[in-house]
Amino acid sequence: MTEKNTIYGRLLEIQRMSTEDGPGIRTTVFLKGCYLSCIWCHNPESISFKPQLQWLKSNCISCRSCVSVCPNQALSFIEDEIIINRIFCKADGECTEECPSGALELMGKDVSVDEVVKEVLKDKSFFEKSGGGVTLSGGEPIMQHEFALTFFKKIKENGIHTALDTCGLGIPAAYEKILPYTDLILYDIKEIDPEKHKQFTGISNEKVLENLKLISDWMNINHSPKELWIRTPIIPDATDTDENLLGIGKFIYENELHPTRWELCAFNNLCNDKYLRLGIPWLFKKHDLLESEKMEHFLKTAKNSGVDKQIVLSTGPVKFLKNKPNEPHENETTFQC
Amino acid sequence: METLSQIQKIKEPKKLSQRIKWLRDYYFSGVSRKWNNEFFPWTTGAPWDIQYDEITYYIVPETYPFLETFKSSIKQASRKVDIPHDFYSLSLPERKAWFLKETMVNYVPQELLPGDLIAGGRFNMMTSMCWTEQETKEVNQLIYGKKGSRAKMKWFHDHGYGNSGATSGHIIPGYEKALNIGWKGIHGEIKNFYEALTAEEKESSRGAQLRAMMTASTLPRELAQKYSTLCIRKAASENERIRKRELLQMAENLKKVPWEPAETFWEAVQALWLTHMLVMSDENYPGPGVSFGRIDQYLFPYWQKSLSEGMDREFGKEILKTFWIHSNTAYDALIRVGANQGITAGYGQLITLSGMGFDMKDATNDLTYAMLEVIDEMSPILEPKPNVRLHRNSPEKLLDKLVEMISGSQGAPFLLNFDERSMAGLMREARIGNYESLINESNLYDYAPVGCLENTMCGNDRSGTVDNNLNLLKAVELALKGGKDLNVFVDPITGRKEKIKQDGPKTGDTTKFKTWEEFKNAYVQQTKYIIEKCVDLYEVSESIRAKYIPTPYLSCLIKGCAEKGIDVTGGGAEIGFTTIEAVTYATTVDSLLAIKYLVFDKKVATMKELLMALKSNWKGFEILQTRAKNRAPKYGRDDDEADKMGQFVMELWTSETWKHKTTSTHRRFRPGMLSWNYWVGDGYVLAASADGRAKGQFLSNAICPSNGTDVKGPTSNTNSVGKVLGGRTEKGDWKDFVNLLPNGASHTITFNPSFLKDGEHKEKFKAFLKGYLENGGTALQINILDPDMLIEAQKHPRNFRHLLVRVTGYNAYFTSIGRELQDEIIARISHEKI
Repeated sequence: MTEKNTIYGRLLEIQRMSTEDGPGIRTTVFLKGCYLSCIWCHNPESISFKPQLQWLKSNCISCRSCVSVCPNQALSFIEDEIIINRIFCKADGECTEECPSGALELMGKDVSVDEVVKEVLKDKSFFEKSGGGVTLSGGEPIMQHEFALTFFKKIKENGIHTALDTCGLGIPAAYEKILPYTDLILYDIKEIDPEKHKQFTGISNEKVLENLKLISDWMNINHSPKELWIRTPIIPDATDTDENLLGIGKFIYENELHPTRWELCAFNNLCNDKYLRLGIPWLFKKHDLLESEKMEHFLKTAKNSGVDKQIVLSTGPVKFLKNKPNEPHENETTFQC
Repeated sequence: METLSQIQKIKEPKKLSQRIKWLRDYYFSGVSRKWNNEFFPWTTGAPWDIQYDEITYYIVPETYPFLETFKSSIKQASRKVDIPHDFYSLSLPERKAWFLKETMVNYVPQELLPGDLIAGGRFNMMTSMCWTEQETKEVNQLIYGKKGSRAKMKWFHDHGYGNSGATSGHIIPGYEKALNIGWKGIHGEIKNFYEALTAEEKESSRGAQLRAMMTASTLPRELAQKYSTLCIRKAASENERIRKRELLQMAENLKKVPWEPAETFWEAVQALWLTHMLVMSDENYPGPGVSFGRIDQYLFPYWQKSLSEGMDREFGKEILKTFWIHSNTAYDALIRVGANQGITAGYGQLITLSGMGFDMKDATNDLTYAMLEVIDEMSPILEPKPNVRLHRNSPEKLLDKLVEMISGSQGAPFLLNFDERSMAGLMREARIGNYESLINESNLYDYAPVGCLENTMCGNDRSGTVDNNLNLLKAVELALKGGKDLNVFVDPITGRKEKIKQDGPKTGDTTKFKTWEEFKNAYVQQTKYIIEKCVDLYEVSESIRAKYIPTPYLSCLIKGCAEKGIDVTGGGAEIGFTTIEAVTYATTVDSLLAIKYLVFDKKVATMKELLMALKSNWKGFEILQTRAKNRAPKYGRDDDEADKMGQFVMELWTSETWKHKTTSTHRRFRPGMLSWNYWVGDGYVLAASADGRAKGQFLSNAICPSNGTDVKGPTSNTNSVGKVLGGRTEKGDWKDFVNLLPNGASHTITFNPSFLKDGEHKEKFKAFLKGYLENGGTALQINILDPDMLIEAQKHPRNFRHLLVRVTGYNAYFTSIGRELQDEIIARISHEKI
């Protein structure tokens, strides 16, 4: 493919020194737009493909510069709050340009592959020393597969490890194109029950599971990507059931998927603010972090589901209730993922 | 109850024997101790006699209001030492050497704490300056006269330039040699130099200096004899068999060392301590960066020998632990001052561990690990401050141990120094300073930091690493006003207003500037001016010290002094630089970026408006201030455009610095970045800055990005730092590394504890350090902190007395630092957590 036409991707954020999205020290590129709309989503700003305006109250100095500059009259200032009329807002950025504090921020901007590659290469030394690399995440990166493919090709040209973080809903042809340039697949199986999956995410999981089998076959034949990690979010009153974990475990071993990891990712409530900023109500607002005992239990359940016990581990913040001697984090102290 | 659980989180000492536990607890019992090492002043009894050397405090602005009080109260409290009738007919260095020896051996009591394994108790003292009446008159004029050093130094500080003064310590004496050949050997060498002089030379200052050094070099022998006798006396009344044997062994050790060369590990540590503590006595100043250098290297042969002869490894560590306790008694100097038993964290008897050896091979050895174990088991404790040198071939075992220690403490209990970048800086100074015969490929690896992270060579190098602290930001202020101060200076004591004068060069009315280039040129001129101003000020105190404040004992330990017959304060060291430590670097870069962005690029404000905003401390200009803070580009985010401004500032001020030399001692100025705590205090002195900072808010610290601007995480922060130091180029200073700051640069990164939560993350952290080595600066301090704990510590300081945090280049007890700084640290960490 000649590179005459610059390819753009809709970027949400580039997070450097990320330590939770694959091996080593990584730069995670979050793209905007997702097939799913999980009710617990920790990155609600990533769901819509459209750019979205968000307002951070804590940064706002109430100068109202934004109100007057909006050509669509989408902003008003009422009782210390900037109210965004999301029907009027075209997210074209006049207000964010004018905002002196950065309290108003436009989520989602179009960037060229080369721009992103340049940013990512800055941490090459750290990737090399740590066995890390680049993770493409989202949203759902496969939604922008043309960008993803070009980006990964360029990253591989620089000898850097690539990881694709996907919810599994892309078209098989898109996966087939990108897999040769992918070293690791981070694949979400959130819920094994198709009905519940639809209830939680908006879409049934049949295609997710089907695609995973295809990818696994591809890996067996082509020996690339070299690794597969399965990730399951443990969401209170949703995916946090023994049946779910046992079901996913069964699916993994029955289909001989051989992931090198199965991560149980503990729910966290840090995204509460994100929902507030976007003006979206969140069902999990009042939910606390999972207790460490509960997480231990799920870990045990998953390990006993038939998969290789070694591959199961948990990530994310949990809450410790009881004081344990020699335990550095205690007394309801939480730690982050 | 919450408090209790929080306390459990603080690092606790572990595996301490009864002996060490007692000594450590005793030390921390502070003022209630029966024994301490408080300053004792001593006088010749002459009515004009004074003890206090205020010059050495010029770099501590907090002491300015008290200089006069100190001077007179110390004089009043001083005790008389009987001097011979011809005392004042001796040369000044001879008087000093005699007086120190007489006082130390015959007046200062020799004492030993229960269970202690090395002798050498009291060393904090203020000895007579030993000036004649005539000399005192001369010095009084030079210091207190209208154009004297005190007035000049005050003006410099009051107007926001920073501070400067010829300061004690900050040197690595030739301890290795002292152990190897003993003081007997040193004495012999000096004697040989003296005897080789012609009769005429003997009559000159050169002869006098060597005679003074001969006297000084017998001090350790005579003091050791006194301590030996004490040990014998103690042994006689000791009933406990093992302790009795220890005391007798100590008496034997002291009979031999430090006069004779040391042979066993115990002897070596004993000799090292006595030799070291007397430097602090000689300089009349406790622990100001008198550093040990590569202690795990030069003590290793003794360690190995004693182990092979049957010394229990744990007993070897026990000896070291008593050495650690002794080092901390430096803080007793001002034990009754302030709330924290005189522990100000400001000293820095630095030890260097590990690092590159010959042929770029790793030099880590068993003693490196033993010392790390000692630190781990004794922590939290301040002195001696450790700095661990890392390089590409550092062993995994060492890195594992370091990461383990970092994860187990609130802050890393050591600094990390990075050899490749550091050595590049030293090669640069060798080239520019014409020291290539003394610093080159063959010995470069044997460098070591002093104080905190200031890189020097060992045993022959005084580079004045804290002597000049210059606020680069002052040049931006002067550029904005065409060479004048922005604000009227009001004397806080008298309330007197000073007229604004044309201090710097006339660089034009900035409101008429059309382009950024015009402003940039003005900034260049003003930077040249502030550096010249600093150089001039330093000369004032440097020339006084060179002529009137010799330290003959220290001079015995610095190569070059005996050879030249010149005291170390007179510029006798083989390698002699003085360092300008730039303060406010990021604030300066960000201010320039903001001026360019607001006035010239985006044109959201006119220069006139910006000047009004700064003059009114942003009052009424809050929107502009917010924009400056949040929308203007910033250094520290690995943004190549912004960092280019950082490179420009760095290249400019360092190249200007290299151009100057002291007149009295011919020491070239070299650049570094260590801002101690000036970035806090001078924030109240310097006017509001264009980066959005109001007067009264902190400035940026050393080479770190400004507070709150580090939004892209540790790797981007690291990359920016490496870039402005010169990065990596085909033709580097050493290999492909460039380092514009041979002194080194203090860089702090705070990590949330979760970053080290498990084995996998510890591996990632290790990899980060390896990446830092490739991309980052010369030195890194790591904070691992939890904001909740700090808030708790603010509320209940008494429960958190031992909570250590790293502030800048040094560990400090959190509860001993000011409220503003505490808030600042909490803010920094909370920011990290989001």
